[in-house]
Amino acid sequence: MRKPARIALALGAAASLAFAAGESDFHIPFEKYKLQNGLRVVLSRDTAVPVIAVYLIYDVGARAEEKGRTGFAHLFEHMMFEGSANLKKGDHFHYVQANGGELNGSTHPDYTDYFETMPSNKLGLALWLESDRMRSLAITPENLKDQQEAVKQERRLRFDNEAYNTAIIDKWPALVFGNFQSSHSLIGSFEDLEAASVDDVAKFFKTYYAPNNAVLVIAGDFDSSDAKKLVEQYFGNIPSQPQPVRPDMTEPARTQGKTETVADQHARVPGVVIGWPAPKRHTDEWYALGMLDAVLTSGESSRMQLDLVKGKQTVIQFDVGLGWPFAGFNDFKDPGEYAAFLLYKPNYKPQQIVDEVQEEIDRIAKDGVDDKELSRVKAVMRFQKVSGLQSSLARARLVGQYELLDGKPEMMDQDFTNLFKVTSPEIQAVAKKYLMASRRDVLMIQPAPPTPAPKPAPAKEENK
Amino acid sequence: MRRFVFALIFAGLPLAAQTVDLTKPPVSKDPRPYKLPPVTETKLPNGLTVMLAEDGRLPLVTSQLIFLAGNKRDPKEIPGLAASVAAMLMQGTNTRTYQQIAQELDNLGGTLTAATGADSLFMDSSVLSENALKMLALMSDIGRNAAFPQNELDLHKQNRKQQLLVQHSQPGYVANEEYRKLIFGDTPYAHVGPTADAIDKLDRKALADFRDTFLVPNNAYLIIVGKLPARADLMKVITIEFGSWQQKAVPAYTAPKPPESKRQLVIVDRPGSVQADMRLGKVTVAMSDPLYFPESVGSIIEGGGPSSRLFLDIREKRGYAYDVHTEPSALADAGNFATVTQVRNDVAADALQGILEHLDRMAKEPVAKEELSDAKSYANGVFLLGMEPQGGLANRLAQIKVMNLPKNYLETYTTKINSVEPDQIESMAKKFMATDNDTIVVVGDTSKIQKSLEKIGTFQVVQPEGAKPTQ
Repeated sequence: MRKPARIALALGAAASLAFAAGESDFHIPFEKYKLQNGLRVVLSRDTAVPVIAVYLIYDVGARAEEKGRTGFAHLFEHMMFEGSANLKKGDHFHYVQANGGELNGSTHPDYTDYFETMPSNKLGLALWLESDRMRSLAITPENLKDQQEAVKQERRLRFDNEAYNTAIIDKWPALVFGNFQSSHSLIGSFEDLEAASVDDVAKFFKTYYAPNNAVLVIAGDFDSSDAKKLVEQYFGNIPSQPQPVRPDMTEPARTQGKTETVADQHARVPGVVIGWPAPKRHTDEWYALGMLDAVLTSGESSRMQLDLVKGKQTVIQFDVGLGWPFAGFNDFKDPGEYAAFLLYKPNYKPQQIVDEVQEEIDRIAKDGVDDKELSRVKAVMRFQKVSGLQSSLARARLVGQYELLDGKPEMMDQDFTNLFKVTSPEIQAVAKKYLMASRRDVLMIQPAPPTPAPKPAPAKEENK
Repeated sequence: MRRFVFALIFAGLPLAAQTVDLTKPPVSKDPRPYKLPPVTETKLPNGLTVMLAEDGRLPLVTSQLIFLAGNKRDPKEIPGLAASVAAMLMQGTNTRTYQQIAQELDNLGGTLTAATGADSLFMDSSVLSENALKMLALMSDIGRNAAFPQNELDLHKQNRKQQLLVQHSQPGYVANEEYRKLIFGDTPYAHVGPTADAIDKLDRKALADFRDTFLVPNNAYLIIVGKLPARADLMKVITIEFGSWQQKAVPAYTAPKPPESKRQLVIVDRPGSVQADMRLGKVTVAMSDPLYFPESVGSIIEGGGPSSRLFLDIREKRGYAYDVHTEPSALADAGNFATVTQVRNDVAADALQGILEHLDRMAKEPVAKEELSDAKSYANGVFLLGMEPQGGLANRLAQIKVMNLPKNYLETYTTKINSVEPDQIESMAKKFMATDNDTIVVVGDTSKIQKSLEKIGTFQVVQPEGAKPTQ
């Protein structure tokens, strides 16, 4: 089905991404296999620039956190940079940077990932770094204390000191989900972050950071047999652990959406978040909602842009998606919410904005979408797909996430094909079934004057 | 030397017998050299420079139309004019409404944006290869025939004012706005965006005058990178779309000398802030200046990434901040070297003190040999990583033109980085990093930070631009 990398090599030609001229016939080449210890490995070769991306994705995210430990998955992600048996604190950063590379990690609702991008002759180094911490993370009270402070600082920076973000990370999940696993703050409270112990870290590491709970992707300029040999050498003897069980994510049944208003002392322009519980991943309805979303929000000529920003001139900007704000269309497990975050002109009431968005959806439900508009949306989607694959890291992320979430990197092509098959009646049906006013959740974020200066700061801030 | 010996030994071993020492980093092979794709540069009779580079990995073409017409060309009384011209280019031409442009663009399967930097106004597009020629036609119409419809301008003004309010709610934006104003004083690099008053002043005539003055072919560069159509077809379309464009003399620009750097201490009051956002630094040199390379390498050592001195101390050791980094920002006529951090209120003064000590140390002590070679590897690696997306090459080709860099800038970049010596870093640091004449801007809650900051000096407290009522 896909051109094996070896053939390209034997011909002396550079390996390249495979694509054909057909409508959606575009593939990232990949090869996958599994080590004895259960580590899944995916290789995707492209030799245009002599760089590689090493991408490790673990099957645990913030939605696996326990009560009283909100923010722990992210705190743990920070611990992964603090050293291991053969790497002192700071060494991981140093080795990557001093060898011309970049690195990072990030915590998502349903996975946590780490990457190194480096000149391609440093593949062995990147694999050594990742394997050493998977085998032997340094879990010490000092490291934990440091990272508790760093994460609290990150929370201040990215949430507590910014407009909208505190409401979005703390209030929105609580409003739309009923099960603690999904409804809690993914960055966590200061109280919970401080309560985390070294034992918690050790247990989490053993449970979730085992080879059988991870996918390793190498993308870019490498020789396939060299890469396989290196992977075996560095990861082959890391012991596997019992397969962790994903917590029960079942949402309590609910028939009515909820509305809440919050005052935001940093906001200067009002905002509103509008959402609806979404259909299950890979169902026909999920694809239909994906296409409906594209009609509403994709490209320059989307309905939200032409009707609300340009036509009614009420909305200033919008950010919309399945899984918003923590995930994208295809990188989370169920359950999910389809949500839209809009900033609007202060002379309108939030309910007017909610009604206008609902009218857009109701109009699609009633009249459907004609072929002209659908084909325009498909052109945008096809462009976004191709354009999003230009770097080794982007390709590594995509194949890695699909392997982790679905066990099938090839689902990325299947998803695309299925989206393109969606018809107007299917879009209408999903709008009618899922996006009705009664199921709608709304969070209104209103600018509020700052706390008067002489008053003592909120307790949260001065936590010591 | 050592690497060579290792390579020889391993080469003599049967592959299966190789074992790896898990306690040490592996010895790497020599890097595979990277050759830049050839760039063809031609000039149309009307003065438009055209640069083409083939990158056939993906069915995608990136095209940029760059004008030497950035924010520095804003008239004094309308800061932000160039940026509004850029935004309004997309809102309608003599023959296309916004809606038509938007639908056409989406039908092509591509994106097109227009924006400005301090030195240039750039249109940037990316599109599926099969539609590359049509995208050029659209870019030509938008770049040459923008009509600035009154209704679209009215909407732009309303929304831009709201977006400015949003920007003024972001402490990082406020810090940068104040800092640039203080270090560049009365010169054109002083503003980063518009004021609400300047937005009020925008009218069709101001936009059209700017367009007619600066958006002319002899002031422009067309850069196209990607899986390109046959060269003959491509050149034919370029000639049809851009060849009839009339050239016109552009008013000469002499960059005014920025003010002398001096110690200025300012708090921008932001009641309710849970941390202090700091930006400190001063005016430095243009990107074409030979000192730019020591500045870049020195900046990596000081604050360029997670193994830099500032990160290891201020974040990792002392736990004051999540982010602390340096920004060597070089423009066409001058630059500035800034250090940026956000720290919790109770350690604001200690963190600032620590940062000042680090910066001053660099001006007094030579950097260690290993630090220097690590920083060079990092600079070169990041340069290489940036070449993967088409935009990476296109942006750098544009940079050569806008920043007035030598033609072989990309080919010689690594050599120039590698030739930086410790004494060059030290003398650069005496000029650019020593803090005695630094401007320091802190955005935060005055009631919580002013007193402790006294130990650095007396800070003047100002209200942010956006604090003034705008309606």
